[in-house]
Amino acid sequence: MDKKQIELLQGTLDMLILKAVSLGPLHGYGVLLRIQQISKDRLEIQQGSLYPALYRLEHQGWIASEWGESENKRKAKYYRLTAAGKRKFQTEAEKWNRMADVIAGILQSTPEEV
Amino acid sequence: MRTLSRIQSWMRAVMGRSRMEREMDAELHFHIEAFAEDLARNGVPRPEALRRARIEFGAVERAKEECREARGISLFDGLTQDFQYAVRTLRKNPGFTATAVLTLALGIALNATMFSMVSAFLLRRPPGQEPSRAVVISGINPTQGFQSDLSGVSAPNYLAWRQANHVFVEIAAADEYRTVSLTAQGTDRSGQRTSIGRPEALRASAVSSNYFRVFGVSPQIGRTFADGEGLAGHDHVVILSHELWERRFGSEASVIGGTIRLNRENYTVIGVMPANFRLMGFVPQLWMPLVLRAADQTEAARKERSLNLYARLKPGVTLEQARAEMVTLAQRAEESFPETEKGWGVGVRTLPEYLVQNFSVRGGLAVMMTAVGFVLLIACANVAALLLARAAGRRKELAIRISLGAGRLRVVRQLLTEGLVVAFLGGGGGLLASYWGINLVRANMNFNEYVSAVPISLDWNVVFFALAISVASAALCGLVPALSASRTDVNTNLKEESRALSAGRSHSRLRTVMVTGEIALALFLLVGTGLLIRRLSVLHNQNLGFVPDHLLTAGVTLDSAQYKDASQQAAFVRNAMIQLRQIPDAEAVAATSDLPATGPGKVTFLIKGQPELPANQRLSALDFVITPEFFRAAGIPLLRGREFTERDNGTGTRAVLVNQEFVHRYLQGQEPIGKQIRLDVSGATPEWSEIVGVVGNTKSFSGSTREEGQVFEAMLQRPISSFALMIRAASDPEGLVGAMRNAVRQVDAELPLVQVMSMHAVIKRQDGGDAIFEALLASFALLALILAAIGIYGLVAYSVGQRTHEIGIRMALGAEKPHVLRMVLRDGLKMTAIGAAMGLVMALPLPRVFEAVLYFGGENIQEPALYFIVPIAMTVVTMLATYIPARRAMKVDPVVALRYE
Repeated sequence: MDKKQIELLQGTLDMLILKAVSLGPLHGYGVLLRIQQISKDRLEIQQGSLYPALYRLEHQGWIASEWGESENKRKAKYYRLTAAGKRKFQTEAEKWNRMADVIAGILQSTPEEV
Repeated sequence: MRTLSRIQSWMRAVMGRSRMEREMDAELHFHIEAFAEDLARNGVPRPEALRRARIEFGAVERAKEECREARGISLFDGLTQDFQYAVRTLRKNPGFTATAVLTLALGIALNATMFSMVSAFLLRRPPGQEPSRAVVISGINPTQGFQSDLSGVSAPNYLAWRQANHVFVEIAAADEYRTVSLTAQGTDRSGQRTSIGRPEALRASAVSSNYFRVFGVSPQIGRTFADGEGLAGHDHVVILSHELWERRFGSEASVIGGTIRLNRENYTVIGVMPANFRLMGFVPQLWMPLVLRAADQTEAARKERSLNLYARLKPGVTLEQARAEMVTLAQRAEESFPETEKGWGVGVRTLPEYLVQNFSVRGGLAVMMTAVGFVLLIACANVAALLLARAAGRRKELAIRISLGAGRLRVVRQLLTEGLVVAFLGGGGGLLASYWGINLVRANMNFNEYVSAVPISLDWNVVFFALAISVASAALCGLVPALSASRTDVNTNLKEESRALSAGRSHSRLRTVMVTGEIALALFLLVGTGLLIRRLSVLHNQNLGFVPDHLLTAGVTLDSAQYKDASQQAAFVRNAMIQLRQIPDAEAVAATSDLPATGPGKVTFLIKGQPELPANQRLSALDFVITPEFFRAAGIPLLRGREFTERDNGTGTRAVLVNQEFVHRYLQGQEPIGKQIRLDVSGATPEWSEIVGVVGNTKSFSGSTREEGQVFEAMLQRPISSFALMIRAASDPEGLVGAMRNAVRQVDAELPLVQVMSMHAVIKRQDGGDAIFEALLASFALLALILAAIGIYGLVAYSVGQRTHEIGIRMALGAEKPHVLRMVLRDGLKMTAIGAAMGLVMALPLPRVFEAVLYFGGENIQEPALYFIVPIAMTVVTMLATYIPARRAMKVDPVVALRYE
């Protein structure tokens, strides 16, 4: 395993999943690969915790699932973003960005500015 | 839409449970497969790839569990699973299950059975509309005594308050304790003569015409009283109780409009009340109008506090407002008539509250419920100890489950479910057993008509109560082992070999605490029960001061139609005595206002030469009115002076006898014979009477050790209309019943006798509840002792089993057998000593608690010996329970024990 991987912040996995499926329907393993791919393998994701998150998001109506066929002709469960999920993702992303700005601003502030 | 999707997903999850499980399996499986394929593609050998994929993924079961939780079905789902699992484990251990279930069933059955009495006596809704808006107004007697705050109200106060109050829709009055004779013939509606057997004395309640309106009840057939029917001349109408209508009139509707003969006068039957119109503690068989005459409005009538007042609150008026108003009215009466009203207060209670207080069973029931509650606690502790012991044996299993990813909460829930299943099995069994128990109680709760009139049954209250205590027991039994199991440390437990010297310390410590608690509770119960039983046996065996054996008694009420004045009443008494004396086996015959030890009324008096005090400060004594042979018939010794003779009649100077206590209390040992006293007898002009004799003390009431001053008046000098007859029989008194009835018939063929029974039967009617109380409490305490003994036996046996290895080592190293025995016995003794000490401390204030709850009237029920005997007995029993397993420890063969696994 790559030592430079960082652990996921609490509560961010949901957002990442929403982002991953917003680019097109994916099965669970696909979600994992997509996140790793986008993050360039810099994030460590507990595979076991992926599915409870998927189930929770589906239960909340942000994503929907249906059975389909995988690239290698196997039955797999595909998740896609719902309309509500899209809105949810947008507000969450905005919130995250604002938060990141604020935190970054605080961390970068110099003694003179305070 | 989100809610909808959530419900859909939940529905899918619950309905298509197996489908969801399959899909989840497939999905996770696909993930691992796909991952492994990717690894294989990168050159990892196939089996190694699969292994790595599994490791990377982590605990599959936990993931599944979290998925289920994410769906929000986990709770429901898990419960079913827990339940199935619990049933499976319990079925695998039938011995454990049977013991636990039976123990709980026993405890729950006892509680449910006792609760049926609580339900019958305390929780039944009185009849009528909105019974909680109906109230009862009672007088408060300034002289403290049994139920002194539930006294009656006088007619003048009733009339004044009815006019003056602004808080009640109306106030009704009832004189509940009248006796009327129902004589042989009457007519039905068509004027046909009807014959209904021999004359019978009935309990009647004279009520104001608005009485039934206040309760808001309607008759089953006919009508209730009209407003004018409370006036003299219009009052010959009567309403029958359902019971009387059924028994004497064959449930014939034609009885309405017909006449029946009551006290030798014709009364028109106007209605029949339904069977459910019954106020606890009152058993009238018919209702007649209460007629208030001019004499009932005089100041003298203020002393006759014989009315119960029932009222209905005006809409919007609270009980407190009504109370405040009545207190003001009572103060007004006190200011206007200080001579009679001084100190008298007034209380207002809701009807249900009044009925319960009036019946005065609350204290007794509280004691019983506490006792059975403790028995259940002990039973729960035993079952919890069983579960705990088993949990200790299952530590490894639990550790494995936790390490496989089962959450601790899941494990706790699992153990709780087991407790729940045991408790519900026990609850079901207990409820079944209580059906039998309730029948048993009902069969015994019939020692007098007031108790018989309260139907005890397995009603919904009992079922809900059984359910509630089952859940509580489940919590009690399951929580302790569950919490202790949840603290299981996975690593130590997986590594721990059963070769450890002694079993998990925290487990046995918890059990020791519980068993110690059991011993404390059992000891507490034994001391409490011992105190009560000791008191009852003192009462039961006390010398009442007279001889109740071979004494036949009966009640007589002379009606005013035939016996208009005192001379006619006196004539009846004289003739009745002559006839009764004719009975061959009658050794002595007498009439008396009250039978001995049945709690007669009090009379205030003045001793000549002492200053005259206001009415409420005068001396008082119990008042008997008797015929000459009374003392011989009752077997009360004459100590000084003389008895009454036939010459102590209306023409002679008034004479009285007093008892020893009277001389002691009020004459301070002066020579009593020849002293003059004046009794304040209502309705008579005060006259000085001379004390002509002194007799021995009798108890005021059979259920008490109290002795009070007593005054005996001569019935021929002050005839009364209601009294008891007594025959001292040479043979079995019950054999003289027919002869007694015959003798009275010779004097007056239409006069019925009531409660013809032996004096022993009279006492049993009074104190019948005590015997049941005693028997029940004794069995509860015994049960508590047995359960506690089982508890300590189980604990010691278990720990000996666990310590077999250790004991083996000790013996191999040279420990002697007696030493091992002592070691085990010491453990048991320590628990007993601590438990007993705790129990004793708890039991110390019991005499005072009983005094407050059960109204013993200041009697001393200290019994110091009990505080020694009970702990010793307790120690003997627990030592026995410890000795059996301890002997087994002694027999341990070191060679076998060291191999013991």
